[in-house]
Amino acid sequence: MNAFFDLLLGGVFHAAVLFLVAAGLQLVFGVQKIVNLACGSFYALGAYFGVTAVKWAIAAGAAPYLFLPVLIVAGIAIGSIIGPPIEALLRTVYRRDEAFQLLLTFALVLMFQDALRFFFGANPQQLGDTAMVYGTLSAGSVLVPTYNALVIIASVAIAFGLGAFLQRTRFGRILRATAENREMSEAMGVNVRRVYATVFTLGTILGTVGGALVVPTAAASLDMPVELVVEAFAVVVIGGLGSMRGALIGALIVGIMRALAIRYYAELEMLAIYVVVIAVLIARPAGLFGKPVE
Amino acid sequence: MQRSRRKILKAVGGAGAMLAAQPYLSFPAIAQAGPLRIGIIAPKSGIAGTIGECGLRGCQFAVERINAGGGIAGRKIELIVEEETNPKDSIERLRKLVLQDKVDCVQGIISSGVSLAMGPAAEEMKALTIFWDGTTQDGVKETMPNPHYVFRSTDNECEAVMASLLVVKHWKGQFKTVAGINPDYSYGRNNFAAFQALLKKFGVQHEVVAEQWPKVGTTDLTSHVAALKAAKPDLVFSSLLFADLPIFMRTAHGAGLMDGRTKFAFPAAGFQHTALKKSFTPEGMIFGHNTLYFDLPNASALQKQFVQEYESKYKDYPHWEADRAYFAMQVYKAGVEAAYKAKNAWPSQDDVIGAMEGVKIDSLGGPGQMRKDHIADQTFYQGITTHNNRYDFPTLGQIDTMYSDQLQKPPGADFWKWIETAQIKL
Repeated sequence: MNAFFDLLLGGVFHAAVLFLVAAGLQLVFGVQKIVNLACGSFYALGAYFGVTAVKWAIAAGAAPYLFLPVLIVAGIAIGSIIGPPIEALLRTVYRRDEAFQLLLTFALVLMFQDALRFFFGANPQQLGDTAMVYGTLSAGSVLVPTYNALVIIASVAIAFGLGAFLQRTRFGRILRATAENREMSEAMGVNVRRVYATVFTLGTILGTVGGALVVPTAAASLDMPVELVVEAFAVVVIGGLGSMRGALIGALIVGIMRALAIRYYAELEMLAIYVVVIAVLIARPAGLFGKPVE
Repeated sequence: MQRSRRKILKAVGGAGAMLAAQPYLSFPAIAQAGPLRIGIIAPKSGIAGTIGECGLRGCQFAVERINAGGGIAGRKIELIVEEETNPKDSIERLRKLVLQDKVDCVQGIISSGVSLAMGPAAEEMKALTIFWDGTTQDGVKETMPNPHYVFRSTDNECEAVMASLLVVKHWKGQFKTVAGINPDYSYGRNNFAAFQALLKKFGVQHEVVAEQWPKVGTTDLTSHVAALKAAKPDLVFSSLLFADLPIFMRTAHGAGLMDGRTKFAFPAAGFQHTALKKSFTPEGMIFGHNTLYFDLPNASALQKQFVQEYESKYKDYPHWEADRAYFAMQVYKAGVEAAYKAKNAWPSQDDVIGAMEGVKIDSLGGPGQMRKDHIADQTFYQGITTHNNRYDFPTLGQIDTMYSDQLQKPPGADFWKWIETAQIKL
């Protein structure tokens, strides 16, 4: 039983980070109808910036236990800075074919890779034992680093906060209306340009915060974007393109399938995830929570 | 107009034919004046970036010393450094170094994927090439049994063989179940297979209860650690060696896998030694430092000087890639100078190659030689970790030293048969 909980917690931790990136992807697609391949680059950027911010903070005399708020602030800050100019660039392809949009966001992936290499160097960056300042939670022989538990809690809180924002606030309703019918929203006086800029920046922040949160347990590396995008797209297909609830359930399915595959058939980690993807595509092409295209 | 177009087409065709034939043209004889041009191909980015960087520093140290001493047979060295990336692009850079820069020798290469592809290309181009750490083995099978222009480092399995021997030496009778977490390519798979074969050879009864194969570049190992923990192994053998090793160590520590009930052997831990902090890396583990252990108490004056300079210049401590790069440069130097002395004139490339076969040198980590089959023999260091030092990472408390003639198969032998029949001293 303890082994099962260990596996479950491993899967849920992975899902928690995956959810943040997939949620950003879903939000942007849901409103702007753009499949943003660069979401993995935002994740990597958040990780690199998070490492730098924590090192700065500690060098400036901040108490080590403050590194979690530093990471969150760093993720939000860098996402807020880069989101608007990239959205401005994407405006040039909003009304063009999807292939143009994919090519442009793929170009961004490659450009970000070189920019990260230029600013942070080629070597993977780590935070050493920083995450250990929070200690470990234990229940019997099940041990969970407190930091991992905090990341899971933060992701759940963000999921509910995002849901409440979209469902219960005026701006959330405007977003949903714009997602449903852009022209009608414009006719009703909605400033769609502002909505798009806000949504894209929010999606970017979700990615950068995800990257910043994962880095104390992992490493910021140039390989991060591709590693994550492959799984984030599996989440999107399983959950349904554009659905936030789908992102949450999809991330959980991918995280837990990955953990089970690693435990029982280590070589089949990616195959196990994509078997689910194919099954969903066959049985429910729009994804578990996606809307079928009329 | 028609005629001039034909002329242009002819010219282009002729140039194309010449370019196509270039690989088959003879590699230029070593020029007798000016500096010796040596091309280096090493990774400066990606997951092997830190490793390539350390190798480049070792190479630079060798060049500075050689040039300060008057160069190689009176000629200074000039380095031309290119990036090692994927096999195709790296071979293009080899071609550029040989054909365009007209280098006298090419050194470098860390990835076996690259060296496997580059070996035949270097032979075809007749380019004297010395691999730092890349092999020409496909798995454990030699793909270039009789190379003429290519020289390579020791077999990749050396560290796994030595770590396995230390496991038997120190822990025989103290474990029954074993698990492995090794990188998912031929290096990791061969290492774990070699470990099991050596346990069998020395009559250590064991049961493999878990095998984990994370892909290179995996940065979340939480589920891998949970799977290992669920299997409750007495001993974990891991040849992780890139940035994933500190991640594994931290994750395993946080999950309680390092509570003292499980033993660990990491044959290639030396690549990441400074990133493995004491706070999450316990004492009592087997760590491999390959051909350079920076904190060796009875190290040579050369090693001490190198480590001291490295520390003051880069605020870091070197690992074995620096030694591999230094070794390659010194083997080339020894070959050129021996051939020059024998001929009493500047030697041809074939003269140098002949002189490099069997040459013995003192590398940073200790004595080494280039075997006649163009495979290096070097001194290896492994041992048990301790926190009793002045650093924030573990070093070796108990150090074992072995020469690679005890750790790698002899020329032409099959690796698995050699393991079965070799007279290896524990």
